[in-house]
Amino acid sequence: MINALRWIVFAVAALAMNFPVIVTLVTSFKSARELSINPGLWINQPTFENYLRVLTQTDRFNIYSYLWNSTVASLIGTGLAILLAFPAAYAIARSEVGKHTLLPVVINLRAVPLIIFAIPLYMMYQFLGLLDTQLGLGLILTIVNTPLALVILVNAISDVPLELDEAARVDGASSWQIMVSITRPVVRPALVTTFIFGFITAWNEFLFGLMLTTNKAVPMTVGASFFFAASGGGVQWGTASAVMILGALPPVFLGLLMYRQISGSMTAGAIKG
Amino acid sequence: MAIIKRAEARAYLTPLVGFLLLFLGFPAVINLIYSVSTVDFQTLRSPTLSGFGNYLAVLADRDFWRATSFSLRFGILTAMIECLLGLFLAIFLAPLLSKRSALMAPLMLPLMVAPAMIGLMYRLVLHEFAGPVPYYLFMWFGDSPAFLDASHALWTLIVVETLQWTPFAFLLFYMAYVAVPIDVREAAALDGASAIKTLWFVELPLMLPTLVIAFFIRFIDGFRVFDNVYALTGSGAGGSTTSLSIYIYQAFFKEGAIGKAVAASVVLFLTSLIVLYGLNWLAGRRRREP
Repeated sequence: MINALRWIVFAVAALAMNFPVIVTLVTSFKSARELSINPGLWINQPTFENYLRVLTQTDRFNIYSYLWNSTVASLIGTGLAILLAFPAAYAIARSEVGKHTLLPVVINLRAVPLIIFAIPLYMMYQFLGLLDTQLGLGLILTIVNTPLALVILVNAISDVPLELDEAARVDGASSWQIMVSITRPVVRPALVTTFIFGFITAWNEFLFGLMLTTNKAVPMTVGASFFFAASGGGVQWGTASAVMILGALPPVFLGLLMYRQISGSMTAGAIKG
Repeated sequence: MAIIKRAEARAYLTPLVGFLLLFLGFPAVINLIYSVSTVDFQTLRSPTLSGFGNYLAVLADRDFWRATSFSLRFGILTAMIECLLGLFLAIFLAPLLSKRSALMAPLMLPLMVAPAMIGLMYRLVLHEFAGPVPYYLFMWFGDSPAFLDASHALWTLIVVETLQWTPFAFLLFYMAYVAVPIDVREAAALDGASAIKTLWFVELPLMLPTLVIAFFIRFIDGFRVFDNVYALTGSGAGGSTTSLSIYIYQAFFKEGAIGKAVAASVVLFLTSLIVLYGLNWLAGRRRREP
């Protein structure tokens, strides 16, 4: 009896939380004609025409450019965050340096409203010519990803037994060699999780994409909003839905692939921080 | 004994520290300078120091206080609702989820979708002609509220935010709940405690630190909200949904009021520092009192 109630609560919660995604998915398979008479959750004649239009009419829709910009900027933002955070995490986990000042400061960065850095960064980017570039966006995404990358990696490296390092040290390895060829392979799962999680976070970022790009480097989250700014004939709901589904697909796919690991790392910063 | 020398450790930290100083330290200094200067887009490189006029202008701006009030209400209400719902789901569904971990996936899916994208999706969901929610409301009740007008927008946005981020609170609580040691539960059962009493006197107190942390994380994220609110209402509804982040964005991009935007940024920064300091103090006190 109570178990049946649990199933009902689960179904209601899952439906309610995923409702906007479900509606968008359904709408993306409706023709313009059907949409005008049937806004409900049921499709009478499913069609791929919205996806075809978005993916083939490249002169009208810049979807490939948005997807490409998001991919490149997210890869830069995640790769660089790991390159910066991994040695730092190793140093923090294996010495006293940085443990009491740098680590808390970086963790707290997660809670600082990033808008407060956005205006000076905009000016700095204007000066450096980084406005509206994939690299510029990637560098900012690095900042967004650094706090969680550092927390996950410090936790992971701290869990590696010290004996491993000491054995290698006795064999004459330098700390750099230990870090690269002993510690790195052992914490590989944490590195993969950090990468996937960072990629999702970077892909989903909106504020800096909105502020720092205008044309050439527009990411998917910002590009999707352009489909709602249609002048004249109003929003083409079918194509807009197809765009949103395509834009949400990469992070959702990665997330579902790794949801077990991600649930652990998402909470890592909160519980151990 | 530390396994690596201090000098080496410093070398490993240097790239990260350098990067942070360049991308956060430098902007922080610029913020401070510009906030006490007279500056516009023409005089960006040669701001003239002019005192605290920008701060006074911000603090005298009714829209600033309106945005602060929106952010505060939004942050507190969403954090409370998300934590209560998340706690209920974690405890009530735990027996179901502990056996079938695949059920976690649909509950976590909203966390993978960009908040901006969720905001856009709700434009469709709530649209007067194309959206299913007004469609069914009209069909069943003959009427549908204007979800995004000034009188309803706050609650619409609270529901949107809550539905996306309750999974985060749920996840934290579920992990804390599962981590309650089995012997503690057994001891409570042995003493004849009912399930409700075990929950209230044993499990919830053990989960309390997680509750506090989850509330603060969700409050801070709600307080600084930008993406989904901007995507859904664009601060519309007569400015009734302008959060502090959106206020700063608009002051800079729409009005070109750099001084005001920067001064508001500094005020927001100091406020969040105070909140963070308070949170760390709480966490530190908790660690000292076992």
